[in-house]
Amino acid sequence: MGTISFIRYYISLFMAYCKFLFAFVIYKFADYPDEVKVAAMISALCVMIIVVMILVLFVMSWKNKRTQRLRDRIEKKYGKGMEYIVSQEASELLSEEDIERAFGFDRSELDGPLLKNNREKHMFVEIFYLYFISKRSELSKTENSHTMLRMFDIPDYLEKEISLGSMKHKANALSKMRTFKLPISPWVINKLLNSKYMRVQRLAMYSNVMSSSDSALDYFETDFFDKNCCIKDEIELGFSLQRRRKMGLKLPNLARWAHIQSNEKTQCMFVRLMRRFNEIEYCGELKDLYNDSKKKKLIEEISRTWGYLRYIESEELLKKALLTQPDDTKVAIMHALTRLATGNSLDALLDGFKNTTNPHVRYEALRCIYNYGPEGRALFQELEKNSTDADKKYFDFFNNPITLEKIRLDKEQAYHPSVETVFNG
Amino acid sequence: MWLTIYYIFCYLVFGYTMLLIAGYIWLVFMSRLAQKQLDINLPDDETIKYLMQGSPLTPAVSIIAPAFNEEVTIIDSVNSIMQIDYPDYEIVIVNDESTDRTMELLIEEYKLVEVPYDIAMRVQSKPIKRVLKSTDERYSKLIVVDKVHGGRKADGSNAGINVCSNKYFVCTDVDCIIEPMALYRMMWFVINSHKPMIGVGATMLMSNACIVENGKVVEAAVPSAPIPMFQQLEYLRSFLISKLGWSRINALPNISGGFGLFDTDVAVKSGGYDPMSMAEDVDMLLRMVTYMKNSGQDFQLALVPKVCCWTEGPGSLKQLARQRTRWARGLFEIVSNHRKLFFNPHYGPIGGLTLPYLFLFEFIAPIFEMVGFFFTIWLALTGGVNWSAAFLIFGTIYVFSAFISFFVIFFDYKLKAVNWKHTKASYLKLLLATLLEPFIYHPIITYCSNVGYWRFIVNTTAVWTPIKRTGVKKRS
Repeated sequence: MGTISFIRYYISLFMAYCKFLFAFVIYKFADYPDEVKVAAMISALCVMIIVVMILVLFVMSWKNKRTQRLRDRIEKKYGKGMEYIVSQEASELLSEEDIERAFGFDRSELDGPLLKNNREKHMFVEIFYLYFISKRSELSKTENSHTMLRMFDIPDYLEKEISLGSMKHKANALSKMRTFKLPISPWVINKLLNSKYMRVQRLAMYSNVMSSSDSALDYFETDFFDKNCCIKDEIELGFSLQRRRKMGLKLPNLARWAHIQSNEKTQCMFVRLMRRFNEIEYCGELKDLYNDSKKKKLIEEISRTWGYLRYIESEELLKKALLTQPDDTKVAIMHALTRLATGNSLDALLDGFKNTTNPHVRYEALRCIYNYGPEGRALFQELEKNSTDADKKYFDFFNNPITLEKIRLDKEQAYHPSVETVFNG
Repeated sequence: MWLTIYYIFCYLVFGYTMLLIAGYIWLVFMSRLAQKQLDINLPDDETIKYLMQGSPLTPAVSIIAPAFNEEVTIIDSVNSIMQIDYPDYEIVIVNDESTDRTMELLIEEYKLVEVPYDIAMRVQSKPIKRVLKSTDERYSKLIVVDKVHGGRKADGSNAGINVCSNKYFVCTDVDCIIEPMALYRMMWFVINSHKPMIGVGATMLMSNACIVENGKVVEAAVPSAPIPMFQQLEYLRSFLISKLGWSRINALPNISGGFGLFDTDVAVKSGGYDPMSMAEDVDMLLRMVTYMKNSGQDFQLALVPKVCCWTEGPGSLKQLARQRTRWARGLFEIVSNHRKLFFNPHYGPIGGLTLPYLFLFEFIAPIFEMVGFFFTIWLALTGGVNWSAAFLIFGTIYVFSAFISFFVIFFDYKLKAVNWKHTKASYLKLLLATLLEPFIYHPIITYCSNVGYWRFIVNTTAVWTPIKRTGVKKRS
């Protein structure tokens, strides 16, 4: 008897028992009031479900044990090799023979494939994935991982999963391929872009942004991300663009992508990505968006981007906007003017300090003046000398090394200079 | 006439019970759907960390922990919070004018000095006396706030909100043990949401039987003492069925005060915690929901189904009674203060479904049970009980409650919410609690709830007595 017919037999047996139980309850409580009959039925149903749950728990426990055994076996057999592939010792290009030596086997002596079935391949991918994301050295070569994965037929297995698997399998395989930076065939991506699942579509779009050729990228200039855009999209797109740059491919015109979108959140996302990837050549294209838009957040992000990327041509536009924008945007504009560091914006910053009652804006204006080169420092000292008691607290911040350390905390400092380091380098 | 009243009452009780059963089944179904969704959308810890740790977009979080007379545990607790694995966070410890050496110990251990701090009193709290920071770079994440005594945790939390500088804050108790990956797990929901995420709840369990090593739980176990054991099962049921089920339809009614993440802006705009409330966590969440709905903004609430925080629960009956009486008062307060939201579809699924459910099956249930208990005694004394039918109905309710608890064990195993050290022993203990709970634990809770309601009605002055901690097992 095969496994499926065996299971079928037991299910039919269980169903027959359930039918019998219900019939028994109806017969047994035939003379009782309705409430008692309902209670009896509920009890019978609960007991049946509890029995099913106990059986499922046993099956799950057995399956978990089996999976754990497989994991241990594969880890024991290939764990050392995997660790070597992602370690800094594998910083040079390795041949298949080198990899075989690291794994401790000789393929010519083996009869069949290294991994016998999809279960083993799945487990191998899961284990290697953990090594890859948690132990990989910056010095290790990605190409070595690719060679090793090809030796174990993993790319074929993952592509098959993408083509034939369920949504969960598709998404899982696609994200693994992206993480391992394995090339994905364009036909696979195109197919997945038409998937009915948003998650699969998104993963396909990230893969497309990561690896498609420069000309093919224009084809995808759509408002795809306008709907349901979240921070994770930005993280994933950032990852894809970074990879694209490493591969020597051109980045897309993110300013144009910002133009195409209608949702403010998505527009901001592309403007931020532009700043992160130093896309200065397209900064001019943001001028129309800046002039036409009434979206506060977008103006804030564009100001920041111009500041970070030192787009000097925007200085007059920023100065003009400083008088009309709300407080949050004012802070972004003042920071941008400080980062431009042309030496022509000190008056604008002073206006920013004087023309507001908002303590946060006043403090930030003072911070920008303080960091605006020697002239700014002189102005700061003059302001400090003539400060009123109410203003004294703002100046206290600059005299205390601990708080100064706190205000220097700038999240984008890793990519761009903070206002404190513009003049000093 | 009496017979008519008797029949009406009987049918009312029957209808109520059927509704309650239907409600539970619906919640079980919803939590199963939520699990299915999480199966696809919630990756393992390593993947979350891989994606978030290197990104400049990972949102910063402030962890607020109010402390009052915690000299015994304060250093261990702060060290434990500092072990959290997250790229960008600050810790705000609020000293509520402790009368013991809490503040001195903090100053000595972390080399704290007073710093000028511009504090906008965004939410109501007692005045802040000073803000201290460490001169040691290792503790640069730590901010200690010394404030005038407020007497309530809510007041301390509000002071922390006034000082914190990040977009999100987590409110916790200083004696809680936080899982190192907790912030990553919670923030995963924030970065994945396309609507503004205003609150993320996390699963909390009892640390009473756990073994702690260097501020981390290394061995999770179900307590053997009866009171904490029943509570463990109750917490699991509350988080993995009730809250997870409600979170599926974006109608989470409560984010636990022990460990919950909130959007700072929205919390400030809705007034922060109410220092006078006995259920300040539910109260603030409902005010946040009211604020978002009244200002026409969409929002999202979520629950992390994996254990993120361990707390020491009441170990004795007396402490349990005190805690549950306070919770019942809090529930009454919520029902009377937020009555506008109840059965009001303007407030979405929370107003239309969660709060009516809370009212009908959490608030009224203890009253129904108490009345039913005395009514059955009266019937028994007057010979009005059909014993075979009564036993059968009692059996049904018992089997049904066991069925719900069974589901929790099943869900816990499937979701791997807790990594129990001795899996079989832990599940056997939970199973034992499942079988005994309706006879031992549930009557105590029902009694305490009724006492709490009574105290609220007669307006007895509420006194906040902290639970006496016996400490968790430590391994150095």
